[in-house]
Amino acid sequence: MSPDGTAGYAFGEQLPIEPIDAGSTVMVAGPALSPAESLARSLVLQATEDDEGSLFISTNKTSEKLLTACRRTNPALDTSLMGVIDCSGQEPKPGETDAEVKYVSTQSDLTGIGMKFSALYELLYAEAAQGRVRTGLISLSSLAMYVDLRKLFRFAQTLSGRIDSAGGLGVFAIDPTTHDERTVNTLGQVADGRIEVREYDGDDEDIDGELRVRGLPDQPGGWQPFSLS
Amino acid sequence: MTHRILCVDGDDDVREDTVDTLRSELGDLDPIVEPAGTLADAEASLGTDTDVIVTEYDLPDGTGFDLVGRAEAICPDAGTILYTATDPGTLDTTELRGAITEYVGKDSVFGSERLADLVRTTVESRSQGSYPVPQNEAERLAALRSYDLDDEALMASLDRITDLAATHFDVEQASINLITEHSQEFLTCYGDAEEWETMDREDSICTFTILEDAGVMTVEDVTEDPRFQSRADALLELGIRSYMGANLITSSGLVIGPLCVYDDEPRSFSTAELAYLKDLATLAVDLIECHARLDAADDLAEGDR
Repeated sequence: MSPDGTAGYAFGEQLPIEPIDAGSTVMVAGPALSPAESLARSLVLQATEDDEGSLFISTNKTSEKLLTACRRTNPALDTSLMGVIDCSGQEPKPGETDAEVKYVSTQSDLTGIGMKFSALYELLYAEAAQGRVRTGLISLSSLAMYVDLRKLFRFAQTLSGRIDSAGGLGVFAIDPTTHDERTVNTLGQVADGRIEVREYDGDDEDIDGELRVRGLPDQPGGWQPFSLS
Repeated sequence: MTHRILCVDGDDDVREDTVDTLRSELGDLDPIVEPAGTLADAEASLGTDTDVIVTEYDLPDGTGFDLVGRAEAICPDAGTILYTATDPGTLDTTELRGAITEYVGKDSVFGSERLADLVRTTVESRSQGSYPVPQNEAERLAALRSYDLDDEALMASLDRITDLAATHFDVEQASINLITEHSQEFLTCYGDAEEWETMDREDSICTFTILEDAGVMTVEDVTEDPRFQSRADALLELGIRSYMGANLITSSGLVIGPLCVYDDEPRSFSTAELAYLKDLATLAVDLIECHARLDAADDLAEGDR
């Protein structure tokens, strides 16, 4: 059964994260070699289990590669309530998916990304249970190579505002090792909380990484192991 | 606080409907909703205190993007929402050079009520701002407005504090700045800073200083700091290469602005130097609050007579 429109967004049993309030945006921060981006995708893909919409802004992968990565952790992925803004700049290819894909020719066109995001959000909002939509921006780090911090902050803040206004969930991925600490702290201001991710160096093969939730209420404390499959 | 919303549409009926909806749905904010039927009328209505612009793309004498570009220069803090029947996929967005604008389709499920929700979020959380604002921004601004900062004796005392700061740090420029809703105002200045005029908040270093939990912020070199690199040339023209600001924190814990020193060379600051500037900032706010208490006592005595 679908939750009501104001209930928190839940994440399944394998992820040690309690439901996050509707209207929130979280930043998922981890270095490139950690499973941070995979975790960010999984937080959004949980939508498919709950008849919610899922919307990805993919800056560093084509929509085809993004969907392939999604199927790695969700082999039976249902893309009927999924949208992708493909900002990779690569030529669109006829896809074998019913996901709604919109293309933006360059990552520096934040106006185009933002407007197509808004249009796609409207479509998914209309079709998803209770208008519930999860948005994944993967990643802020990639966009930061094309635009200055002021523009990127404004873009992220606008997305976060739209998500807040519509009672959605925002998941913004960032690789903090590629940025000045001041950049990460400034961008962090648009989010309600942060999920830090690091590699797991133990022997349990079922564990993909460790996460720690900061700034969100009623979450487990300290580093927690997690599995994505 | 008054909220100004500009509503632009060439179709009289649609414009009136949209204005009515915004007035009705946002009644609790008591906004000023200004209608405009053309780009020229809309441009004439733009002011530094415009909060949100809701515009159709196709206008009789131009486009909504023309208006967005114009608004960037006049009211950079304003949020813009393209409320249009035009398919966003058909628009050339590259001409806006990355300016952010929201989009709501006129025939969408979101409709005019959702437009009102989005306008509300844009107004209340400054969701299209290009810089972070403190969580207690409304209380902070109310505290700032509560002080009479025109008093000549108070200004003379604060002047002595900026003089002290400049002398201690051996810099050519120092100032006490106030961070208002959309701008940075220079309250008292030392050196060439006396020539400085109000600047947009998005161009101000101090708008980041007021967020600092530690109460003080340093920038060793504006050309190397990602927050200020994009406006480094303008800062260098003012003789600002390095910076230290300590917040004026009221007895209620609200920051009204910082006391700042500026150097024209890259520079780091020691812990003792940070502590000294914080002490001067504390002294400045003590003076401001002392004058406020004296004013209140005078008003009371006046009432008793």
